[in-house]
Amino acid sequence: MNRQNTTSTIIISVVITVLGLAVLFPFFWMVRSSFMSNIEIYKYPPLLLPTNWKLENYPYTLSVFPSLRYMLNTLTITLPSVVGVLLTSTLAAYSFARLDFPLKRLWFVLVIGSMLMPGAVTIIPIFVAWTFLGLSNGYTALIVPAFLGGGAVNIFLCRQFLMTIPRDLDEAAIIDGAGHVRILFQILSPLIKPVLISIGLFTFILYWNDLLGPLIYISRNEQNTISQALANFRSGFGTDWKAIMAACTMAVTPPVILYFIGQKYFIEGIVLSGLKA
Amino acid sequence: MNARRSGSNTLTAYLFLAPALLGLFFLTIFPIFGVAGISLTNWSGLEKPALIGLGNYTEIFTSDFYFARSVVATLYFALGAVISGIIYSFCIALMLNRRIPARGFWRSVFFIPYVVPAIGTAVVWSWLYEANFGLINYVLHLVGIPKVQWLQSTTFAVPSLVAMTVWGMGSMIVIFLAGLQNVPRAYLEAVDIDGGNTWHKFRHITVPLMSPVIFYNFLMSMISNLQVFVPAYALTRGEPSGRTLFMVFLMYREGFIHNSFGYASALSLIFFIFIAALTAVIFATSRTWMFYEGE
Repeated sequence: MNRQNTTSTIIISVVITVLGLAVLFPFFWMVRSSFMSNIEIYKYPPLLLPTNWKLENYPYTLSVFPSLRYMLNTLTITLPSVVGVLLTSTLAAYSFARLDFPLKRLWFVLVIGSMLMPGAVTIIPIFVAWTFLGLSNGYTALIVPAFLGGGAVNIFLCRQFLMTIPRDLDEAAIIDGAGHVRILFQILSPLIKPVLISIGLFTFILYWNDLLGPLIYISRNEQNTISQALANFRSGFGTDWKAIMAACTMAVTPPVILYFIGQKYFIEGIVLSGLKA
Repeated sequence: MNARRSGSNTLTAYLFLAPALLGLFFLTIFPIFGVAGISLTNWSGLEKPALIGLGNYTEIFTSDFYFARSVVATLYFALGAVISGIIYSFCIALMLNRRIPARGFWRSVFFIPYVVPAIGTAVVWSWLYEANFGLINYVLHLVGIPKVQWLQSTTFAVPSLVAMTVWGMGSMIVIFLAGLQNVPRAYLEAVDIDGGNTWHKFRHITVPLMSPVIFYNFLMSMISNLQVFVPAYALTRGEPSGRTLFMVFLMYREGFIHNSFGYASALSLIFFIFIAALTAVIFATSRTWMFYEGE
């Protein structure tokens, strides 16, 4: 029995290692290609590594693909959106978790039910509405929705967490004369910090990686987000693969760094949304 | 302001809820009516729209060659991605649930594709799939399989995009793994005592206990994969001959490239009804295979 267990553990470890390396492989291929000349990239059979690492690909790519500009643009959308999502989803969650009010059940079902709403369906009327407001070309239309509740999943997650915190804490604060704003932001928020960090990180990634939104609302190249610019760059510079791969590497790096810093919260966030919902 | 008074409670509750309710109305409920309204016009976004009744719908169902292609492509892609994604993620999660070295490290590795921009990974995959210089064809060549035009072939275009998408489903692995860790050890040991084997444990303990998690993953990834856009936009542009013309890409093309808002709205509404019906079916059938503890 025991020996059988050891054997199967070894087999599984080998399988996982092989599959894990396969999952990493496209990243390796991307970085490796970003240091090659186009001639080397087009070598057949393919080379595993560059014969000489062409570091100058990066300054060259930056001259045709101003990634820092695009990243800054992306941050201009992403950071306020993270704030909006965190702020408005905790407010709504507090209402649902702690307060009693007429029609609570109805609003809860509608708000949480909108989780099932496929966002792509409403793109056109929302675009039309922004056009009427004269705001269909720019960042406003991409940022404002984040301040409108911050997404059903996030509200739900926050609420689930707030429900686990004993009401005694609020009661004590109420006796001390605290209002709801203070209870939420000074007493409860620090206690649900892990879930707030998860939500913040996921929102960041979601906005950083978004492509369809920027394609619709941003037309001028110097305003492009990184994903959008990369998509355009690929169709415009179709065969200059060294630059495309370097641009890709630059676009992919910030989320990966963020992921390694906040790994624990990413994993927890995913687990919570998957198991609690 | 004292939080205990219940009159002010209602006011506070609605103030706190205001952003979410504005979102509910302006980003979900009104736009649904908006989509229905615009779909009855021939609006191009520029000139004054004219009501044309069900004209767009007649055109979609009778003369739009692309529509049928698009429905087939979208369903094929979504079902393919969700089913293979669930099988792939469940298998990896089962393996990661064993006591193997560096388990946490590998769990992180499988998750990475999920956090990076889809466009970045799509670009890299397109190079791996490239017919003449791509690595995949080279590896196949080594074992004697002739070159395949992955993204240009009517047979392989969707499966290629599915493989790329499944690769990015690391989040499902993490959810399944967490679910597996919640399966009580005592239940599994009970199977041992009764003389059952690994298959019995899997079939009679693990799968039933995991069914709510599988259901959630199935539903949510179905909804998100039906809305697939990036691969079609970045890699195939709907080609070859409409095989990857996914619904959202078709909507985007009609609405924002051809400026046919009316037509694109009709497509959106059909798409909405389609997803809603599918969601209802998934919920309705879930009763037959889902197991809730305590029921």
